[in-house]
This record gives sequence, structure tokens and C-alpha cells, in this order.
Amino acid sequence: MKSALMMATAISLISAATAYGQEPVILKFWDNQQTESGLSQFQQAAVDRFESENPGITVEVTTIPYPEFQQRLLTAVQGGNAPDISTLDQIWVAAFAKAGAISDLTKMASDSDISRDAFFPGAWDSADYNGKLYGIPFNVDAWSFTYVNKALFAKAGIDPSSIMSWDGLKLAAEKLTDPANGQFGLGLFGHKGEDTVVVTDSFIFSNGGSVLNSDGSCGLNSPASVEALNYLASLVPYAPNGILNASSGDMRELFLNGSLAMEFWPALEQPTLQKSDLNWDFVAGQAPEGKTAIGTYGGWNLAIYKTSPNKEAAWKFIEFMTREDVNGDVVDLVPANIKAAKTFLEKNRLGAERIMKYLDNAKARPLSPVYLEVSDAEMAMMQDIYSGMPAQEAADKACKVIDAL
Amino acid sequence: MIKTDKWMIWAFVGPTVLLLAVMMYYPMIGTLIESFYSTSFINPKPEFVGFSLYNKIFSSGNFGIVVRNSLAWTIGVVFLQNLIGFGVALLLNQRLPGQGIMRALILLPWILPGVVAAILWRFMYDPQLGIINSFLIGTGLSNTGIAWLAQESTAMIAVIIAAVWKGFPFSTLVFLAALQNVDREQIEAATVDGASALRRLFDVVLPAMRKVIVVNVILTTILTFNYFDMIWILTRGGPRDATHIFPTKIYQVGFGQFRFGEAATYGVLSVLMLSVLVAFYFIAQGSGRNKRAKA
Amino acid sequence: MTARFNLQRVLLTVLLLFVAAIVLLPFFWMISVSLKPATEPFSIPAKLWPDAPTFANYITAFRPEFRTYFVNSMIVSGATVAITVTFGTLAAYCFTRFQLNVLSLILGLVVLAQMFPHAAIIIPIYKMMKNAGLLNTRLSLIIAYVTVTLPVAIWMMHGFLAKLPITLEEAAAVDGAGPLRTFFDIIVPLSRPGIVATSVYVLIVTWQEFLFALSFTSTKEMRTLPVGMNDFIGQYGIRYGELMASSVMVSLPIVLVFFILQRQFVAGLTAGAVKG
Repeated sequence: MKSALMMATAISLISAATAYGQEPVILKFWDNQQTESGLSQFQQAAVDRFESENPGITVEVTTIPYPEFQQRLLTAVQGGNAPDISTLDQIWVAAFAKAGAISDLTKMASDSDISRDAFFPGAWDSADYNGKLYGIPFNVDAWSFTYVNKALFAKAGIDPSSIMSWDGLKLAAEKLTDPANGQFGLGLFGHKGEDTVVVTDSFIFSNGGSVLNSDGSCGLNSPASVEALNYLASLVPYAPNGILNASSGDMRELFLNGSLAMEFWPALEQPTLQKSDLNWDFVAGQAPEGKTAIGTYGGWNLAIYKTSPNKEAAWKFIEFMTREDVNGDVVDLVPANIKAAKTFLEKNRLGAERIMKYLDNAKARPLSPVYLEVSDAEMAMMQDIYSGMPAQEAADKACKVIDAL
Repeated sequence: MIKTDKWMIWAFVGPTVLLLAVMMYYPMIGTLIESFYSTSFINPKPEFVGFSLYNKIFSSGNFGIVVRNSLAWTIGVVFLQNLIGFGVALLLNQRLPGQGIMRALILLPWILPGVVAAILWRFMYDPQLGIINSFLIGTGLSNTGIAWLAQESTAMIAVIIAAVWKGFPFSTLVFLAALQNVDREQIEAATVDGASALRRLFDVVLPAMRKVIVVNVILTTILTFNYFDMIWILTRGGPRDATHIFPTKIYQVGFGQFRFGEAATYGVLSVLMLSVLVAFYFIAQGSGRNKRAKA
Repeated sequence: MTARFNLQRVLLTVLLLFVAAIVLLPFFWMISVSLKPATEPFSIPAKLWPDAPTFANYITAFRPEFRTYFVNSMIVSGATVAITVTFGTLAAYCFTRFQLNVLSLILGLVVLAQMFPHAAIIIPIYKMMKNAGLLNTRLSLIIAYVTVTLPVAIWMMHGFLAKLPITLEEAAAVDGAGPLRTFFDIIVPLSRPGIVATSVYVLIVTWQEFLFALSFTSTKEMRTLPVGMNDFIGQYGIRYGELMASSVMVSLPIVLVFFILQRQFVAGLTAGAVKG
């Protein structure tokens, strides 16, 4: 009896939906799992809002921890069961586009209000593959801001702004290192992870070097790049030991308990520091005297999968999630929508203007379908360098691998 | 020999055969085929390339490292895990006070989800924050602490220790169950004859448990060889390639770099190498029987 | 004689306690980290116990979804144990008792199957699950777990059954019992230690399995505990306190099961001792 009633209700609901000429649509949205507490609730609230603005569409959100996200997406795509929409790390877009897994959004974008000038240019360009648009920027960040422990700086009598130059950073690191008291100038991380690569890149970029030259050949062993690598190697004495297995996340606890005077992180690290009792500030990267600090772009784009039967609804969802009044509520990196980013940063982050400027300057990593192999070679290079191999030799070794791809 | 009907054998073995055929052999044969094709995520139209992926791997220099690491890891973990596992099983079989609770407590490392166990150990090995270095510094055994997982010289032994901690309760469980099958009358007879505990162990207990020990060593060899979580979370195969073993290599090449064909090739080579290792055990088991007969 | 005997017992007890201390130290630290307030930084050298222990991490970690995850884990693990141990015992019995060439071949193939690296075969398995319409169901996990635990279960049971003397079965046959009755009335009770050990193995392996559970499920309604508790692992770091708190909560049910079933567990392990 009860089930019959439920059945009847269900049937009437379905016919009501079809009566409006709309099939009920379920959108599957997969996202990298964020760790900042509370974000998932905000994201759910935004999804609810989307569903009420778009009757007939429901969104099923699946979050996956970052370390497994790539594997999970690959398995689903290869298994013919991709979601309708997912966030994609900027560095995956080219490969997914080349694999034919995600849709060309060029036409949808040009037919809509979404356009390049609403977003950070570096983020927009990261979704470009062979002149076509394969994603809409969702969030961005830049590596790396150099965070400082102000109390330790004051005690040593060092002006934090002095570390904007390479010489200044090294000098400060030297003065602030006191292993006997468990204090180190800065934390270097060289584990096998992308955070190792993005920090290295920003030093290379800031010295005028590159990862890949414009003709696609390896640029890591150019004089400008090698100079940057040598500089990084010269910082090793001021870092706690264990660089080869340290990640940026491992450095967090050391910075929080006052063992580190400086650390490289994206703007995302701010909420953690805000919750602590630490007196901190940051400098937007550093460059050799007379050059400009250039950060490495990071972030996520929203992509629609080719297999999705609901591309129009998916596009509506993307438009919604990147809208000025929504984008800031659903990210913990910086919103990719510039207007949303300004509001977001002023409300949630210290030094909004400095962050905006650094983001404007930041450079993307090579947008190549084989980027992950390039990155792997670069990680191996940094592990060689942090193990004591001369930078030139390590870079030549990496370039041999990269040029063979 | 017991007389039986064929139908019974097939009814008993059938479900196993069916499941393994569909769920393991069918995919693995696919993997074998894939190892001859240039399959990758970004190349959806693969071509037949013969043995060229095999040649590429053999000539890359990585292969030798992976083989060496896999051997060190597998043999190290299996030896320590079974030795400790057997010792603890003997202890727990002594009817000592509190042994009931101990039997449950000792299983704890094995119960802990693998991912969590690995994260816990990574944290314990942390050069600055880890409890292991705090202990070493506190007791004056080391001045600055040791970056266990970040040095090529210590990384392998560190991951082995973590894996042994996680895995030895399994061996204990198996040996404890097997100890119950050792004939008590035989032990008592040996005791009456004045044999020492050690003599009883070598003359009565070990021979009686030989079959279980051999099976368990082979089993733990197979499980350890393919044990992925621990190393992946502790070091991702680093520093440099110091802890890269077959499963981490397969995962990194396949899911990390999208090169499915090459990952398949590593997969096939992995099965081949493990088969050789297990075959070696079977041969050693035969000669071990002779040695023991002499002793 | 008795004095020496007692000294030996004392020494062995001390040794056992020492082993237990080493084994449990990481757990002690896990609990310590789980009780540390998020605002209290990790100190150097590491403190064994936080200054102001709090259950805050447990409160954050214990979310309503936990109940669903727990039920799913129970269903999946329970079903897997029942099926695997049944199939495994049946198959192992055949392998130890009947000398057929085809059985030797199958046994070899069972061992070989255990050697397949999961990372290399997970995509084809995923495809099959998709084609069978089983993705995002508990059944998909049960099938996968039975498959991956079965070879080990067969091997464990093989080790025990091979030790059982065949004379009892022969006697039963002489008494006119059919092979099925012999199996259920004689073999199964005698192999209880093996069945218990194997069940524990299967239970623990499935309770913590991660790769298949993550790959085959997508909605919160279908997730199991190990996948659910990874919410504290992010792109740039791990929230240790909450992760450790949720690990304690995940491990607790199984620890409880052991304490409650401890007597049966030990009895199960010792049941075989009565035979001559």
C-alpha cells in the first residue's frame, strides 16, 4: 500500500517534469577533495542554489582525495564511465584533450557571457590546447609566496622586505639558521611531488630561464636555468635535513612551531596560518637584483567529458560555478574569476593586492600532453641536485630524458 | 585415497575457477597483450610494437634498480616478518598470564587500515617531529636526528621495518593456529626424555610445522612483492629510486604518467620475476628437506 | 625444577610485555596525536602526550556519513568472509585430497593469480564492472574482494587441511558416509583453527581495502570506511589530528570484535589440538 503510494507519487513527479518538456537530468560532478574544513558545506549550499535556479537538474557531487584523483579519473575515462563534469588540474588538461576525453568548449564559450577577460589570463590559457578551449578556469594560485615568521625576523633584526632579492633571501636564511636551537632559515622540499617542481620553476622563471623553450626543447640546462638551480642548491645548508622526502605539507608543522623562519607556499596556506597564534607575513616571491619575481601558476579548470549526455546542463553548471557571485564561495584556492577573486582576497586573505599582482605576473607550466613526464624528469633532477650532484650535470641528464619524449 | 565423484570436485573447485578466470586471468591476458602495443592515455589508437617496450625498459637502467629493490624489499620483509611472527606465536602459545588480551592486541598493527599505517609511520620517521628521532636525540644516540626516508642509505631499511610491523601479526596468526596442530604427546615425550626447549623446538615443533611455514613464506613473499601502499605513501619510490619496486613503478608509469602500455609491460615482468622467486622457494624447499633430514 | 620453571615463565612474560610495548607504541602515539588540539603545535622533541588533550578532533571527524560507511563496511566484509571462506575451504579440500593432474594445474594457476599486480589489472576489471552494471554497488566490492582474497584463503586452508590425517576420512568411508557428509561432519570441525585464521585474514584485508573501494564507488551512500576517512588528506597536507581520530574510530569496531569474540577466537585456534 505504502509502496504503491510512493510509486504513484514518483510517477506523477516524473510526468510533471516531462510535462515541462524537460527530462530530469542528473549531473555527475567530480572534484578534488579540499581539506579546508567547512568548504564542502559551502559547496553543497552552492549546489542547492544551482538546483533551485535550474529545476529539473540535480547535481551529484563526488569528492576524491588529491593523491588518488588522477588515477580515479583515468580509470573512469578508460572504463567508459567518466562523470559529466570534473575539475582538472591545469597540467592535465592537454593530456585529457589529446586523449579525446573532454569536450571542446570553444563554441559554447563564445555563444555565452563567459570570456577570457573575466579570468586570470594565465588560467584561461592553461585550458587552451591547439587553439581550442577545453576548460573554464575554476580556481588559481601561484607558487610561491615566501612566508616569514615575523618574531624570528625581529629577533634577528632582519627586515622581511630584504628577502625579495635572491641575495637578501640567502643572507636572511644564513642569519636565521641555528641548528643547535632547532631553528632553520627556510624549509626546502624535494620529494617526488609537483610542489617540488613548481617552486623550482618559479626560481627558474624569475631568473629568465624556462622549462621548455618555445620550440619545445628542454630549457632546464640553459645558463639562466642552471644559475637558478645552483642558487637553490646553495640554500641547502639553511634547511632542516630530510629534503629528499619532504613535502610542502610537512613544512607546515615546522613553521607553526617556530622551527622555520621562512617557507614557500601558495596563498592557500593562509587560512592555516590565520588559525595559529603565529605572527606572520609573506613576500611575493623573489628574484635576482634587478629582475621581477615570477611565480608558477597552479589551479584547476572545469571540463565537460565527451561522453556526457548532458552537455548543455553541464555548461549551465560551469557558468554557475565560475560566476562572480558564486565562484568565491566554492573554492579554497583563489577564484579564477577576477572580480570574484578581488572580493574573495580582500575578505579572506592578507595582502590581497600583492597576491593579485603576483598572480598577474605568474607563468604557467608547459602545456604539453606529456607534461607529467617532463615533470617527472624535473623531480628526478631536483632529487639529484639536493643529493649533491652539480646542477649542470643534473639538468643535462633531465634534458636528455625530456628531449627524447 | 578416498573414492569420490568428479561432480563433487568440480562443484567444490568450480566457483574458484570461474571467479579467477573472469576477474584475474581475463584482465591479465589483456595486460599481456597490451604490453606489445604502444597504448597510452593520449594515444587512443595504439599500434603493435612487438618487444620494443620490453627493450625500452631493459635498456633504461631503471629496470635493474627496480629488480634489485624488489628483491631487497621482499626478502627483507618476508624474513623478518616470519621470524618475528614465529617468535611471537611461540610466546603466545606458552599460556602466560594475559595472553588472551595479548592475542587480540598483537593483531592491532595488521587491523589498522594500510593507508593510515603508512601515514603514521611517515610521521614517526619525520626527521624533526617524529618520535623515533626524538627518542634517538633524547637518549643521545644521535645529535641531529636521522632523515630515515630521505637518505638512499636508510630508506629501504626504514620502509622494511614499517612493513614488518604491519605484517608480522599475520604470520603470528597463521603460526599460532598451526602450533595447535603440533602433537602434544610428542612434545611431552621429548620433555620426559630430557630434551631442552630448544631441542624440542628444532626436533619436534619445527618439523611438524614445516608445511605451514613453507606455505606462509611463499604466501608472504607474494603479498609483500605486490605490497604497494606502504612504500607509495612513505617515499613514492624515492629518494631518487632507492625504494622503487615493481608495484610503485607500475602505478607511477600507468596512472602517474598515463603510459599504459609500458605499465602493462612492467606488470608482465613483475609477474615473471615473482614466479621465478616463488619457483626458487619450491626448489629450496626440496633441498631444505634433505638438510633437515641430516640434522 | 619448579623454581626454574617459574623463572622461565617470568622471563617469557617480560619478553611478551616488551614485544607488546614495541608493537603498541605507534598506536599510543596515534592516540596522542588524535587528542592534540589543532592549535597546539607539534613540539620538538615530540611530546608523548599533549598538554591539553581534547576530543575535538573526534567530534570533527565523526560525521553523520560515518554510520553509512560503517554499515557498508560491515556488509561488504561480512559477505566477503562468508563467501571466500566457503569457496576457499571447498577448493582447498579438493587440492589436498584428490590427486588429479587438472587439480595440480588449477592450484598452480591459483598461486599465479595472486601474483598479478592490481595496478595493472584494475582498469579492465573496472570495465567489466561497468558493463555488468555493478559500478557503485556493494556487490562489485564483494566480488572483487572475494577474488583477491580467495587465493590466499585457499593457500591458508591448504596448509591446515594437508596436516589433517586422511585416516579419519577413510574410517568414515568404511562406515558408509558419503564424501559430502565426510567433508561437513569431519573435515570442517577439525579444520576450525584454519577456518578461524582464514576468516580473520579475509575480514582484516577487506575491512581496510582502499584501491578497489575508491575506484568502484562514487556516491557517499556506497563508500566504505577506509575511503570515507581519507577526507583529511588534501593536496597540500594532511590534517593529522582528525585523520588519527578517524583511524582510531575505524579500528575500534574490529578491536571490539576481537575482544568480544576473544574466547571463541582462542577456542577456534585451539580446537584442532584435540586430535591425535
